[in-house]
Amino acid sequence: MTDRNNVLEVQAIHTFIGQFHILEGVSVAVPKGSITVLLGRNGAGKTTTLRSIMGLTPPSQGSILLDGQSLVGRRPYTIAQMGVGYVPEHRAIFKELSVRENLVIAQRQRGDLERRTEFIFELFPDLERFYHLPGGNLSGGQQQMLAIARALVPDNRLLLIDEPSEGLAPVIIEHLIAAIRKLAAQATVLLVEQNFRVASLLADRYVIIDDGQSVATGAMQDLRHDEALVHKYLGVA
Amino acid sequence: MKAVKTQPLWRRTLQSNIGYLAVVFFLVIFPHLVGWMTGDSPFGVNGRPRGQSVFWQSVFIEVFILTILAMSYNLIFGFTGVISFGHALFFGLGGYIMGLALERSGLGAEAALLLGAVIGVVVCGVLGFLMGLVSLRLRGVYFAIFTLAIAEMVAIYIGRWPVTNAEDGFPLANMPELINPTRNRLTYYYLALLLVIITFLFIRRLMNSPTGKVLLAIRENENRAQAIGYNTLTYKLLAIALAGMIAAGAGMLHVILNRKVGPEILSVTYTVDPLLMTIIGGVGTFSGPIIGAAGLHLSERIFNREFVIGTTSVNIGENWSLILGIIFVVVVLVFPQGIVGTWTRWRSRRGTARAPAPTVRAANAGD
Amino acid sequence: MTRTRNTYLLIVGLTAALLVFSFLTSAGDLGSFGTTVLSGLFLGALYFLVASGLSIVFGLMDILNFAQGAYFMIGAYVTFALFHSNMFQGIDANLRFPLGVIVATGVGALFGVILERVLLRPLYARPVFQLVLTFGVAIVFGEALKAIWGTEAYSWNPNTSFGIHQSQFEIFGRQFGTYRLVVIAVGALLIVLIGLLLQRTRIGIIIRAGVEDSEMVSALGINVRAVFTMVFTLGCAVAAFGGAIAAPFLGANLGMGNAFLLPGIAVVVLGGLGSYTGTAIGSFLVGLAVAVVAKFSAEFLNQTVWSSMTPMLLLILILLLRPSGLFGKESR
Repeated sequence: MTDRNNVLEVQAIHTFIGQFHILEGVSVAVPKGSITVLLGRNGAGKTTTLRSIMGLTPPSQGSILLDGQSLVGRRPYTIAQMGVGYVPEHRAIFKELSVRENLVIAQRQRGDLERRTEFIFELFPDLERFYHLPGGNLSGGQQQMLAIARALVPDNRLLLIDEPSEGLAPVIIEHLIAAIRKLAAQATVLLVEQNFRVASLLADRYVIIDDGQSVATGAMQDLRHDEALVHKYLGVA
Repeated sequence: MKAVKTQPLWRRTLQSNIGYLAVVFFLVIFPHLVGWMTGDSPFGVNGRPRGQSVFWQSVFIEVFILTILAMSYNLIFGFTGVISFGHALFFGLGGYIMGLALERSGLGAEAALLLGAVIGVVVCGVLGFLMGLVSLRLRGVYFAIFTLAIAEMVAIYIGRWPVTNAEDGFPLANMPELINPTRNRLTYYYLALLLVIITFLFIRRLMNSPTGKVLLAIRENENRAQAIGYNTLTYKLLAIALAGMIAAGAGMLHVILNRKVGPEILSVTYTVDPLLMTIIGGVGTFSGPIIGAAGLHLSERIFNREFVIGTTSVNIGENWSLILGIIFVVVVLVFPQGIVGTWTRWRSRRGTARAPAPTVRAANAGD
Repeated sequence: MTRTRNTYLLIVGLTAALLVFSFLTSAGDLGSFGTTVLSGLFLGALYFLVASGLSIVFGLMDILNFAQGAYFMIGAYVTFALFHSNMFQGIDANLRFPLGVIVATGVGALFGVILERVLLRPLYARPVFQLVLTFGVAIVFGEALKAIWGTEAYSWNPNTSFGIHQSQFEIFGRQFGTYRLVVIAVGALLIVLIGLLLQRTRIGIIIRAGVEDSEMVSALGINVRAVFTMVFTLGCAVAAFGGAIAAPFLGANLGMGNAFLLPGIAVVVLGGLGSYTGTAIGSFLVGLAVAVVAKFSAEFLNQTVWSSMTPMLLLILILLLRPSGLFGKESR
């Protein structure tokens, strides 16, 4: 059943939010060392898929395996401790906390941050410049970098990144793409991305989610040539 | 199902209210029933309130008063979803205004009663309206704090106000003979019962009207009700003002029954009691406040004596408030739907045990 | 930035107005003015001890704990009872009092854990019921104290008390209890200690982050519920500690709970949701206001009703004029 090559295997999960049935059978496999992207229209259930993996909106059915260990029924903090880093949408950093404090809080063990500081500053030099400024004073792009950096502080085997390019200027998006590529050399990434160009530049594999169900999956380079599929589910050419 | 629809309206009304009608019938004959069973006249002895029947009448009048108060609280807390910790304000002010009208207006008893009732209801309505206006800016816990602060402030002030004899209050002597609870307690009993029925019917009519549907929508999700296009403030104002007016009426009945006005009617007790009764009976149900008020007040009366268990004697009445508080905490934790809510849920679960759980699909929820 | 400056100007303005008013109405009697200000600081220190827990818990967990006043009251009763109990008369008074305070704080912490773990935790999905529940718990605590110690208002006799409580010092010719100065100092010390905890420690960072977004904190691998329990417990313990150190001056009575809950809430609202600085400054502003009004109404209006009403009046005014408080966010 489970492929040893997959860091994450989500199988046919169903998730309710209140009385609303949001996910009605989503399956996602994320091979080790890959960047897999979730594609789909607004409201298709991509964010809920990430939140379900994280345990923030626990699924009522289906299985989620992280390197063979089940995540279903675990609380979000345990899932994080098992090595899942979460970068939510809308750059949810702590605005009242300084950049340093935003990173300190992500430590799972003493010394995590010291070990990673160099790598983080290399990826995002701006964070070094504004290390002691409140997160709320950073620009949108810098906040996004901080949110990603926060997930890099501990050793995570899987990063869940939700819409990193949302609302950012093209120059900054280029910088982010480069950074995510660089960090993907060390970790496995499951990405949600609305910007098809960004997705196709970054991802190795894709999963299309439509109306709460995963409807297609495959290698990203195949999707680039499959205009019919792209048009049907994503509405872009 | 089809058979019911073909029946005439009066028949359907009768059938669906058979439980309530039975209760009303019981309450109507109750004083006479007690009188017949104990041999004490329900009219008292020589114009004095003596005997079992008269005693139980007063207990039930208190139940009626608390029922009206609890129903008014349920209107805002249960049906509109507005939390107020200041309901005693309306109860107490209603009582004080009635007391002042009877004792200080210099009018005859009947005219004074009418004057007090009108002014009390109007003042509490206006006050509810003004406090409701504040709910435009303050929601949830902030509004609860606001109401608590207003009620506490008024209670402290009136508790030391020389005009109403500060903490001593003043007795009521001037009242219409017909409803004088000492001489004509049975009439007063029926008057209070009538007011309970009117309040009940009024609230049920209101909640089944389009206005009531909007109130329920506000309780479920105020922002959504607003988004649909309702001016939620207007509806909240209406609910808060109406609840204030009804509570004022309960306060008036209370002071006339006790023939005394004092600052204790403004105390937080009269906020806590309707809160407890509503939650224990069933928040947002029609019969919940009635069951809560009757259940709590009657059990207080029944248990208000010493119980001897083995060699130790326990006076439950002395610690009644403590027991009540503990019951309340347990109910909130274990049966947040209260007696009525839990009962309906249990029944409906049994009824639909084999039917699949209904699922609502979101059109555009999710991300 | 200008908003912050305006806030501080407002604070300085309000404080100055209160002081000037008090100075002018004391008609050149510096002693009377001095004791009024000290009384205000004394009340402010106690308000802070009630409000700090209230405010942090409100910011972090969205629970306004209406039982906070009851914890203050429990602290006072326990300390009073232990100090005056015949069982412990063998212990020197100077030792008996601090021991009583420690036990009272511990009792507050214990009831704090119970309240959060057993009663509030099942209700996180139903915030309305949490609010109503803390209201109910306040009643239960009040009634339980009544069942144990009766309705009597106990006052603490300085003549048989511990050393500091017996001594007085003079300010411009007026006597003022040294012990009340100690309470002010302890309050100030706790402001600094809790402030350092919040600013300098990892747990403090977690608390401040949780005030912004507790879900995200849990997604970073932190057991937020354990933090909730800890913070709630500390808040209750500090309130009980406040009641304990207030007992030598205020005694123990059933009205204490509400007498400190409402000013505490006023402080929280005045300071602004989740703002620690706001809570610290707000405590002394409210304390000063209550003391000044008490003095004025006792001397000029010849009645004390206004001082009891001051916290509620302040609360109502703040809610009407500036519900976001001094340091709160605009959106509230």
